[in-house]
Amino acid sequence: MLFVHEVHKVVGKRAAEFEDAYRSGWMPELARGSDARLLWYFDLAHGSGLAYRVVTVTAVRDGASWARLAERVAGGDLRAWARHLDGLQHESRGRIMIPLEWSPSIGSLDDVPTEPVEHEPTMYMEDTMWPFPGKIGDYIRAAGDVYRRALGAETAQMHMSIELAIQAMPGAGRTPEVTLMQKLSSLPPLIRLLTTDIPPEVTGPGSWMHEALELRDQWRSRLLRAAVWSPLS
Amino acid sequence: MHETHKVIGRHASAFEDLYRDEWMDALSRSDDARLLWYLNHAMGSGPAYQVVTITAVADGAAWEALARRMLHGDLSDLASRLDAYRYEVEGKMIAPVYWSALQEVDLTAVPTDGRHHELSVYMQDTGWPDAPLDEYIELWDLDYWQYMREVPEERKLLDITACFQVAHGSGIRPEAILLQKVMNFSTLGGLLTSVEKHDPTTWPGSYMAKGLEVRDQWESKLLRTSSWSPFR
Repeated sequence: MLFVHEVHKVVGKRAAEFEDAYRSGWMPELARGSDARLLWYFDLAHGSGLAYRVVTVTAVRDGASWARLAERVAGGDLRAWARHLDGLQHESRGRIMIPLEWSPSIGSLDDVPTEPVEHEPTMYMEDTMWPFPGKIGDYIRAAGDVYRRALGAETAQMHMSIELAIQAMPGAGRTPEVTLMQKLSSLPPLIRLLTTDIPPEVTGPGSWMHEALELRDQWRSRLLRAAVWSPLS
Repeated sequence: MHETHKVIGRHASAFEDLYRDEWMDALSRSDDARLLWYLNHAMGSGPAYQVVTITAVADGAAWEALARRMLHGDLSDLASRLDAYRYEVEGKMIAPVYWSALQEVDLTAVPTDGRHHELSVYMQDTGWPDAPLDEYIELWDLDYWQYMREVPEERKLLDITACFQVAHGSGIRPEAILLQKVMNFSTLGGLLTSVEKHDPTTWPGSYMAKGLEVRDQWESKLLRTSSWSPFR
């Protein structure tokens, strides 16, 4: 399975129409076939970064499925929808991603909801890392062996779980780059992270924060809130 | 598959050698993909040590197969060595627009032996309209391509080799790309040094004036083929 990850710079005045285009257009249109499904519709939480940014993640079964979807958008039955969306966003920046070997699975594409069933809004921390040249393989292994396990420990500083770990497909994104979609299960640790210094035991020698500096020192976190109708919460 | 490589300067020759001697050769072992262009961003006209490569793939399944070979298969070692010679690579999948002169490539006919030839220079224009993408592509068709194709050879600055749009989800939307071969370097020199100013608001009917109705942001890159680039 592949994942189309898009960041949309939405026209503020038309934000509601933009969301409706995905809920009432993209999601049901994809449901008419078996190639692709909308998984997540996220708003970048106001107060944590750029305004009117939406992140969508669409799963496609494989490369051939993606190519069929791309043809529908460029010149097929989804062309009019895409043209409509052009008026609702300033731009979108997309990447086509593949799961890391140790990434959790999102399950079967056939089981993804295609009706807007409302649920509680959920928060995600999306981390994107840029390992040093030639270090992406080492970084991916270390993130799986050390970071992922540390998140699952009872003593974890953050209460969140990796729902999807992905990297760009060659030719359809940036390399080296790794993105982790992490679901927050409790907000107080996030507030503590945002408002207090990181304790030395988390950053000192032997810690993930310290040792991983050999592999990368640049990353970006986005705080994303899943829409109440987002197929995956 | 359009890729822009930010190469580590001291490894620039080694990076190019890997592309010529190993990447091009590895692709030639199947009919799924071929390297078409290896282009150096001309120094003095933009960022240093940037390389643009365009690799043609037969279809979506062929691209996925190639990508998986690079990530976990027989090309992973080569991909790792390329990674070690560059800071990063930014890729996008591009497809010809409806009027592009280049629509299909016979992959089996693309040279893979690194034969040498004269250098060529391309002007790659990437535009970002503030109108729907389709309107921009139509403008290029009706007001640029239709005009440029009629320019007599002796006056021709650019030959529009291809026009692409970004395939869904693999880059920026709205974005479209013109790949134009520079036919006359003297005329190019004239374009770069001309002090003549055309006020687009008082130059009605021109492509430049009409173009402002759909976009005012684009970027031109002057790209020079390597002497062994399969396409020149």
